[in-house]
Amino acid sequence: MSTPEPYEPSRLDATLARLGTAGALLSMLARGGRWWMLPLALIVLVVGVGLLVLQSVHYVAPFIYMVF
Amino acid sequence: MGQLRRAYLGPISEVAWRLPGWPTRLLAAFSLAERGSMLDMLAAADATPRREMRRKYFLHALDEGRHAGIFASRVRALSPPGNISRAQAATEDAGLLQGHGIVAGETLFARLGEMDFLAFVFVAEADAVEQFHVYLDRRLPDPDTTAALRDILKDESFHVSYSKLECDKYRREGQPIDHAIRLARWRRVKEGWMRFTRDFGERMSGVWLLVLYFLVIWPFRLVARLERGGWQRAPARPTSALAAARLEG
Amino acid sequence: MPAYILGISALYHDAAAVLLRDGVVVGAAQEERFSRVKHDAAMPRRAAAWCLEQAGITAADLDYLVFYEKPLRKFERILATSVATFPRSWGSFPRQMRAWLGDKLWLRTNLCATFGVRSDRLLFCEHHLSHAASAFYASPHEKAAVLAVDGVGEWATTSLWRGDGSALEPVSEVRFPHSLGLLYSTITAHLGFAVNEGEYKVMGMAAYGKPAFRQELDRLLKLDPAGGFELDLDYFSFHYHPTRSGSPALEALLGPPRFPGAPFAPAVAPGDASAQQIVESQRWADIAASAQAQVEDAMLHLVRYAKGAVGTDALCLAGGVALNSVANRRVAAEGPFAHVWVQPAAGDAGGAMGAAMWAWHAVLGNPRQPPLARMDLGRVNGPARSSEMLTDLGAKFTEPADPGASAAAELADGKVIGWVEGGDEWGPRALGHRSILADPRSTEVKDHVNARVKYRELFRPFAPAVTAAAAADWFDIPAAAAEPARWMLSTAGVHEARQATIPAVVHVDGSARVQVVDPVASPAFHQLLVEFNKLSGVPVVLNTSFNLKGEPMVSSTVDAMASFVRSGLDVLYIDGLRVERPK
Repeated sequence: MSTPEPYEPSRLDATLARLGTAGALLSMLARGGRWWMLPLALIVLVVGVGLLVLQSVHYVAPFIYMVF
Repeated sequence: MGQLRRAYLGPISEVAWRLPGWPTRLLAAFSLAERGSMLDMLAAADATPRREMRRKYFLHALDEGRHAGIFASRVRALSPPGNISRAQAATEDAGLLQGHGIVAGETLFARLGEMDFLAFVFVAEADAVEQFHVYLDRRLPDPDTTAALRDILKDESFHVSYSKLECDKYRREGQPIDHAIRLARWRRVKEGWMRFTRDFGERMSGVWLLVLYFLVIWPFRLVARLERGGWQRAPARPTSALAAARLEG
Repeated sequence: MPAYILGISALYHDAAAVLLRDGVVVGAAQEERFSRVKHDAAMPRRAAAWCLEQAGITAADLDYLVFYEKPLRKFERILATSVATFPRSWGSFPRQMRAWLGDKLWLRTNLCATFGVRSDRLLFCEHHLSHAASAFYASPHEKAAVLAVDGVGEWATTSLWRGDGSALEPVSEVRFPHSLGLLYSTITAHLGFAVNEGEYKVMGMAAYGKPAFRQELDRLLKLDPAGGFELDLDYFSFHYHPTRSGSPALEALLGPPRFPGAPFAPAVAPGDASAQQIVESQRWADIAASAQAQVEDAMLHLVRYAKGAVGTDALCLAGGVALNSVANRRVAAEGPFAHVWVQPAAGDAGGAMGAAMWAWHAVLGNPRQPPLARMDLGRVNGPARSSEMLTDLGAKFTEPADPGASAAAELADGKVIGWVEGGDEWGPRALGHRSILADPRSTEVKDHVNARVKYRELFRPFAPAVTAAAAADWFDIPAAAAEPARWMLSTAGVHEARQATIPAVVHVDGSARVQVVDPVASPAFHQLLVEFNKLSGVPVVLNTSFNLKGEPMVSSTVDAMASFVRSGLDVLYIDGLRVERPK
């Protein structure tokens, strides 16, 4: 019997998982009754996605920040 | 020494060693770097399949550990009495150590493999020797630190010579060691750039997040409260259901 | 097919991995022992890889990977606290958000990529439930009150659970920012030690002082009649400041903080310090003594509440505060429980074990397993590998017929030895597998080991290890502390008549953090103690962790050799081989 290989997530898997995490966060806040945090969490998540995008091109981060 | 490196290292060193408080910062950074190198060399001694190299890596690691101690003691000596600098605190607390080659759980040796690792050691040690010579030629450190640097230089020169001998062996065997050395030089430049971009990126994202903090957070302050003290009933939630266990929150 | 569950703790401090096969621990390892970075918080890749290798499996064979926290709930707490402390949290908000939004929030993705596990195999256990499970399921108690006390997890800083068979149900909790662990850490920082590292030093320093600052410290912490506690947050800044844990009000109350590394010279051991240094040192010792007394009283207050709320005979303890061995002694001696069990890796590393055990017992509904009987659950070198390594390193070594007897003879001869045998210890205490040993009868040996072997502060005490058969003759161990004393988790009084015989391991207050060694948990170490007793009439040796200042305990043969050469040790025993000190 051959040993199964450990799982290597693709970029699509990772993106979907992150979307899932964002959804889970919002759902948890709603479930826990912290409704007031929902808009705040949404804004913070949008910024978070921006940070992730910048991180993925960190070779040129200083130039991107200069453009902004 | 490369012309370009010579062109910038001298003037930068002149400034760095003369700014108030900077000599201790530099020495603390050297101490942490040497300590990180010790870990890299110990990991190599543990993992190398070339049994004849184990002792060489091990002795190299011991040298690096000794150098870390020498630099730390110079930081202690140069820090104002009764007022320990941040630099000294850093050398006292090895928990701050981040300068070693472990990335994502892999040691430098595991990531590079033996030949590239040796090429990296050769390039890094040769750079260190050149750097220390610049400091000594320009008489930048105080006399005691100068003596310590001279002592360390002897070891570093030995590290250059043994790693060079190993590189020569690879060359004789027809292995692409010259490519590995070029790669090691390029890797050091790339890692320097990456450090810069990361630090810059962190500072800039910090600024953006601070703007966000003052623009967005304050209205929510009206409804947010810290928790009260004392025992509270544990919130009702399933602690043994598989579906709940899958949730991240 | 056996079921495999991998527990993981990471990303705060003391990352660890624990692998269960059908509910039984196959391997338990802390990442710091591999990376050599003390308290390493990085994802424990190498510890996990070692665990999988032990079982002869790959990540694809895992049924579940369980992380020891609910990350989104923790993020919620951090965000909510930042808002509630606006605008004072302006310094911490960008740092926290950068760390979380850039990395920690996307834990699911990170875990899948790091460990090669599919998303549907991931489980997440609450931080305090992980602690509680690590204590309850590893203990011998079918029914117990389970108390977890630490800095903070998601929201809880202190939590009480009712354990019954495979079930672990929440009873009540105290929430952030009211935290006993963070109170002690704040005092640790005020006394110039690193948080999450220097708490032991505060405990050691406390014995040199008197609780002269108790009245002041009682302003910080109020024990309420309902069995809980509350902090006066005016004295703290850990909930909004990025690096500082005490507020200016704390400095006004207790005086200026001690600088890291400042010499400590209390009145009972002044050395050649100046009068001003002695006065300052005594103030620090008194603050430490006051904080220690306060945390002990608070722990007693909490366990009394636990007894009332749960009502069992047994108490299981976990969380960083449960590593306070002096407090554990008082809990055992003065508390209402007949039995106390403390998870040896009570800090965050233990969360990895608890998370895995919780999944096996509570989520999957499997019955309890026998309690943990040994703590040498980490990396093993073995005689063959050690012999090969030592040969390659050019070390001069021999293979004595009876290593225990040989080592005992050298100890009796006044030598200080490194002793490496079997697997790495689980938790922060050296239990005779990665230890530095010395003759406790010598008065000078304590200063010698502190100054010349481990290069650490002279005020720090050393622990004794004693054979189980002789423990009661030498130490006053509360009956309820019998189990914690096996793993060096409780202090004990040293019988007055015996103190002069073993001065190196008696702290200034006549106590000792004893390890009671039995032949099941540590057969080789027990044999050494028996042999030392034959030679000296003393069944006790000085036992301290085999590491140098600021470094984690040694793990591999190469680590042990490196620390041996860099320290003032006289001789090294490693997996039955005797290594001479190089000239």
